[in-house]
Amino acid sequence: MNRAKQKTNYAFQRYIVYALIAIVLSLIQFSLLDFVVVQGVSPDLLLVLCVWISIREGRFVGIIAGFLIGITLDIVSFDLVGINAFTKTIAGFIAGSFYQEGKEQLIIHGLKFLFIVFISSFVHNLIYFFFYIKLSDITFVSFFMKYGVAFSFYTTVFAIIPMLVKRKERII
Amino acid sequence: MLQLLNLIVKFKDYAALTLLCIISLALISIGDVSKIGGYRAFVVGTIGWLEEAFAWVPNPDALKTENRAVRELNLYLSSELMKSRQALTENKKLREMLDFKQGIDYNLVSAEVIGKSTIELREYITINKGKKDRIARGMSVRTDAGLTGIVVVVEDNYSLVETLNNRQVKISAKVDRTGIDGILVWGGSTYFNMMNIPRSFDVKVGDELMTSNYSRKYPPGIPIGKVVNVEEDKSSLFHKISVEPFVSFNTLEQVFIIQYISDPERLKLIQRMEERLRLLKK
Repeated sequence: MNRAKQKTNYAFQRYIVYALIAIVLSLIQFSLLDFVVVQGVSPDLLLVLCVWISIREGRFVGIIAGFLIGITLDIVSFDLVGINAFTKTIAGFIAGSFYQEGKEQLIIHGLKFLFIVFISSFVHNLIYFFFYIKLSDITFVSFFMKYGVAFSFYTTVFAIIPMLVKRKERII
Repeated sequence: MLQLLNLIVKFKDYAALTLLCIISLALISIGDVSKIGGYRAFVVGTIGWLEEAFAWVPNPDALKTENRAVRELNLYLSSELMKSRQALTENKKLREMLDFKQGIDYNLVSAEVIGKSTIELREYITINKGKKDRIARGMSVRTDAGLTGIVVVVEDNYSLVETLNNRQVKISAKVDRTGIDGILVWGGSTYFNMMNIPRSFDVKVGDELMTSNYSRKYPPGIPIGKVVNVEEDKSSLFHKISVEPFVSFNTLEQVFIIQYISDPERLKLIQRMEERLRLLKK
């Protein structure tokens, strides 16, 4: 009984930590990320967090986290409310599909994490930009390459940082 | 119910995904959708494609609505067509009147017939011109076709015209071809009768009649009508001549008032003569 209670408390603490990280990443996303924009392409740190949560906690929590992070982002970024919630919910679902109970750490420390970030980001970006960009204004290949591949690649590059941090912690 | 709950719990991931996606899309749709051009284009395109794909399925409600709209359009167009035809007829008539007005010596004032009335078995028309337009009692009224009547009452803006189709009206007329003079009176129906033409005088069917120089009321040379029948009555010394007026009194719409009154001196002379004859009779 105590063990179950402990487990719940531990999960609750983790969620609070996720929320705090989300707040910090939001601040970074809006304040510092302008300095790393290349050719209009910028990384999505909150998406990396969303993928992280999905891999750590499972698909259900990933979906909920994606929605909550997305809706918060919509509100603070003055974006059209619902767009980030929608895309990050789907990203959470995709990333959560790679969840394997007991192998969370293994996935996060490996290259598989980067692969999951890339796939989730790719789908996320295609849907997100699909809302804003008329395909009549841009060719499908350009849309696919810029908003699909380039944005996702850049986000994946930033996903290396938490992966390496975690790996270092493990070695220590 | 329990089974349903079990099912939801079993597929909680999908249920959560569906629910949250619906909530997100609902939030998007209540926002400023003008921003999301791509999404809107996609939705419009998809709906268009679906409509096209299922266009073969008959929709009674849509057909009913379309039918009603077509009927309304048809009514509107019929009304417009009618108006166009009326305008065309009126335009043609006015053009004819304009041509006629340009070829006449007298000063003419155009007027519209705004009413018709019968007072003590006499036919009158009311026109929308009066003293303010320098219309006076005794002026003749005509159309482009011919003589119509004479102004009998004048007010500031309106006048009353006594038409020719009255039994009391006598018109001094002459046959245009031969110059033979006679008195024209209304026969009580469509035709007028020409009186006092001896049988020996040359009058034929088709001869045209106009106002005579002897007329005290009407200016000379105004067309009146044409002879449609000449009867030889052996018991009488005169022809029995029927004349069809050029003017259709039942369809008068526009008329001209001829600003001409017989010479007052001439009228005075005739009045004096008539008075003298009356005194002699006494």
